[in-house]
Amino acid sequence: MEDYLPFVISGLGLGAVYALSGVGLVVLYRSSGVLNFAFGAIGAIGAYVGWSLLGADWPQGLAWCAAIVTSMLLSLAYGRLLAPRLSHRDPTIRSIATLGFALVVVGFTEWYWGEQPRRLVLPTDAGAIEFVLGEVEVRLTHTRALGLALAVIMMGGVGLLLSKTRVGLKMRALADDRDLSALLGIRVLGVDTVAWVLSGAFAGVCGLLLANIVRLQATLLTFLVIPAFAAAIIGRLHSLPATVAGGIAIGVLEALAITVPGFAAFRTATPFLIALAMIVFYRTGTRPA
Amino acid sequence: MSASSTLGGVLPLAGAPGSPASLAQATRRARLSLALMVASVLLIGLAVPWLANAYWIKTLTSSLALSIAAAGVALLYGQLGLVSLCQYALLGAGGWIALRAGHGLGWPFELSVLAGGLLSCAVGMLAGLPALRLKGLYLALVTMMMAGGFQVVINVTGFPDGGAGWLGRVFGSERLMMPRPALALSDAAYFRYVAVWLAAVLALIELHRRTRAGRSWALIRRGEAAAVAAGVNILRYQTWAFGLAGFCAGVAGALLAGGVGQLDGRAFTAGDSVMLFALTVVGGVYHWAGALIAGLLLRAVPALLTDFGVNGYLAMIFFGVALLHALITAPSGIAGQLAGTVDAVRQRIRPPRKDATP
Amino acid sequence: MKRTKKIALSAVVGAMGLAGFGGAWAQSGLDCGLNNGKPAAGEPIPIGAVVGKTGPDDFSASGQAAAAYFKCVNANGGINGRPVDYIVVDDQWNPETAAQVASKLVKDRKVVALAGSTSFVECGANAKMYADEGVMVIAGTGVPRECFNARNYVPVNAGPRVSATIAAMYAAQKYKSKKMVCIIPNIPSLGNWACEGPKEWGKKNGVEVETIAIDPGSADATSTMLQAAAKKPDTIIMNVPKGILVPMLAAAEQQNLGKKIHFVSSAPAYNAEVPKAIGPYWKGNFDVNLEFNPVESAGPDNKNWQAVMDRYGAKSDPRDTFSQAGYVAARLVTQALLKMDPKKIDRASVTDALRKVTDFRSDILCKPFYVGNGNRHNANNSGPVASPDGNGWRFAPGGCLTADDPELVDIRADEVKMGLK
Repeated sequence: MEDYLPFVISGLGLGAVYALSGVGLVVLYRSSGVLNFAFGAIGAIGAYVGWSLLGADWPQGLAWCAAIVTSMLLSLAYGRLLAPRLSHRDPTIRSIATLGFALVVVGFTEWYWGEQPRRLVLPTDAGAIEFVLGEVEVRLTHTRALGLALAVIMMGGVGLLLSKTRVGLKMRALADDRDLSALLGIRVLGVDTVAWVLSGAFAGVCGLLLANIVRLQATLLTFLVIPAFAAAIIGRLHSLPATVAGGIAIGVLEALAITVPGFAAFRTATPFLIALAMIVFYRTGTRPA
Repeated sequence: MSASSTLGGVLPLAGAPGSPASLAQATRRARLSLALMVASVLLIGLAVPWLANAYWIKTLTSSLALSIAAAGVALLYGQLGLVSLCQYALLGAGGWIALRAGHGLGWPFELSVLAGGLLSCAVGMLAGLPALRLKGLYLALVTMMMAGGFQVVINVTGFPDGGAGWLGRVFGSERLMMPRPALALSDAAYFRYVAVWLAAVLALIELHRRTRAGRSWALIRRGEAAAVAAGVNILRYQTWAFGLAGFCAGVAGALLAGGVGQLDGRAFTAGDSVMLFALTVVGGVYHWAGALIAGLLLRAVPALLTDFGVNGYLAMIFFGVALLHALITAPSGIAGQLAGTVDAVRQRIRPPRKDATP
Repeated sequence: MKRTKKIALSAVVGAMGLAGFGGAWAQSGLDCGLNNGKPAAGEPIPIGAVVGKTGPDDFSASGQAAAAYFKCVNANGGINGRPVDYIVVDDQWNPETAAQVASKLVKDRKVVALAGSTSFVECGANAKMYADEGVMVIAGTGVPRECFNARNYVPVNAGPRVSATIAAMYAAQKYKSKKMVCIIPNIPSLGNWACEGPKEWGKKNGVEVETIAIDPGSADATSTMLQAAAKKPDTIIMNVPKGILVPMLAAAEQQNLGKKIHFVSSAPAYNAEVPKAIGPYWKGNFDVNLEFNPVESAGPDNKNWQAVMDRYGAKSDPRDTFSQAGYVAARLVTQALLKMDPKKIDRASVTDALRKVTDFRSDILCKPFYVGNGNRHNANNSGPVASPDGNGWRFAPGGCLTADDPELVDIRADEVKMGLK
């Protein structure tokens, strides 16, 4: 048991961020029908902006706000300017278009900031919760604990937004049938704005946390969206609690996989294997698209 | 897309947007367009080595090989509306088998290519089984997960490069290049060889579309209820489409391995599969030229930008913008726009007959 | 008035003369090729380089340094009157692209040699082509095994295996470590090779070294560090690129592993940005082996490198170890070419001349460099050790350590055959 504890704890940190990214992806999917490949890229550029501002001695809170605002603005720009032009195409094409946006954002980030070892340090890194079991010591920094808390809070908050508020109702209507919703008098562009801005805020927060927990490197952060999709699949692109649970499970299992001798080299495949297993064994609610 | 455009999906028939005068005429025109397609590809194969330098011959060889894979992607999406985001992984699998057969077993090149194609065909069929119950975005996600899994595995195992053992990796000397077919040893000759394979695969797909398989696919696309009512075995034909697309990817992988000489485990990411799909859509999924354009976009355009010394990241931005633009303005891809232009020119030259039904 | 004008005029002329003289003196402070201040105008000699620019890291500094040096040479008489036409291409960290661009250089542009290449992927992709075409590559920095196991590829650096071995030797010497863990990316031909140096050295010297191979794309550095710590080592050898090193050390810091375990690293960690990125936690507990003498060292050749970069390089070109490597490679090739008859410079004769290089000296390198006729090349196998100190680096006393890697036995045999040492 003590052999596994350190990895369970370290997996929680990463799992939290998979969970948060997954929630961000599912929220946008439920409210606009688009799977946002640019989620990681938008978050990454926010993290870089935050890093630059912290390096320029801006106060912490202001730098984070600037980072999240950057992500929100980019997401809004895409949602209002580009996404409406594709709204009549099928969902896969709309999702592939976000890939184009991701390439633009990543290309710009790498070109502007260049390739250099960087570290995004958050003040919550300083403290940690210590777990000691026999000779084994492992620490869960406050940043990671914060990530876990945020995942649960956001899940609850967005769930409430979608199910209990008028805006949430409109978002769901729009995702279901855009033309009919417009006919019914729902202000399409206004609701779209809310959905994309919300997704952008998620991306910004995820970007900051991922940059701290994983690495501040644009290309890697962008393609971490693919394991986040695994969490979204576990939630069947619909259920937020299942997405959070799935994300945390993926993180913990990926970390635990390091203890399995033959499998350790392949442990980065854990999110994909779990998602595939979920698809194969839980084939209810098929063809939601 | 309406049935008249899937009938052949080749260069538009002269001035007639509707159905032609007689069935015999239609058959003749279809045969002509098939011959035209094969001839065009072979002509490209013949002409390019005289015009291009070593750098471009190598680049365009990769381009043609990837066109084969793009043709498979276009088949799945254009004919059946199914999105497969794991075709590049299947390309890698085909390449792996071909390299293993070529280095370890010493098989002749054609056999290695076919072996690669057949394995990817089988794996593609397996990947297609979830398609029976999943559609659209969900299928796309599932195939992307498969591509992600392949990425991790191939990163660890790498590709065979002349060594012994199950994985065939060499340790202790230079990595070997895949032995090329005896009649295509030089880069120029190999380019022509790949062009022949491309023509053959495109013809194979085209023949499928004109026979029972193509009609079944068109019906399945209309609606599964309609297809079942018409007596189409959905399991068989959908799986067959996936198998054919997998075969295309496998052959492409083997030819790519022969062209470059070796494949690297780090170059088969899930992102590459997504890019393959994206650029196939940009090239055009309803026309065989779309596959050619997709291959060019995947290899020739980046090579052009590198040749001009454009910073790799600025090139990435350019690509993203181009992708967005193409998706927004051209639903049938660049090939569709080109075909439309050719059509318009033809209409100018030969005004439409008065008895043609609009 | 007239007199003051005259005095003023002569003062100005004198000043100009002095400035001109000073300028010439400043120029003569640079040592490039023939040093005769005459721009070369003969038939250009094409020399190429393949660098990995667009990708996980930017290695283009070596190409930039070599380009600056060749520009200096061209402004100072060239290669006996012939200028060097230096062509750098980016392989974008993609082996397929590497094959294409190398084809362009070797077959289209017909380069007589390559100098200053630094790429993670091109050695495996191109080594056979270089051997078949009979062209020599004096590379700036090589990383995977294929770069150090090719007949026509000569890296000027020591390589991750040798560098990790020296780091392990240093840890055993300074901290009396008896158990070590070596962390390496699981890229084929790196993951099964670069940590074997410390392992085999350790077997002969009573030190147990275990290897952990990591996925460089993995998002989870913490689990790896915990796994390494679970083996209860005295020292952990980081043998990873600096982009991965920083988050791994961050994860180790968060788990407070530096309290009981010493950390050492091979050469990629030596970079101006690393001390700031890893932070003050690692001061005094992180030692890095360098492949060349430090960037700020005061030796004449090192100072020449900096002067050449200042004069002929761009302000944005990094002045790091890749840059040093590119400069050394360019200088080696220039020196070899200058010994040849300028009318008989073609690929075969250049390859011949380069193989004959046996005593190339530079204070950037710890020992004299050589190429030789061997089947593989790893002439640089010693280096000093440094440690981060605030925002900079502090250098360990003791100077250069030579690697005692058992795999170097054939290199040592070649050295004996060539009559060196």
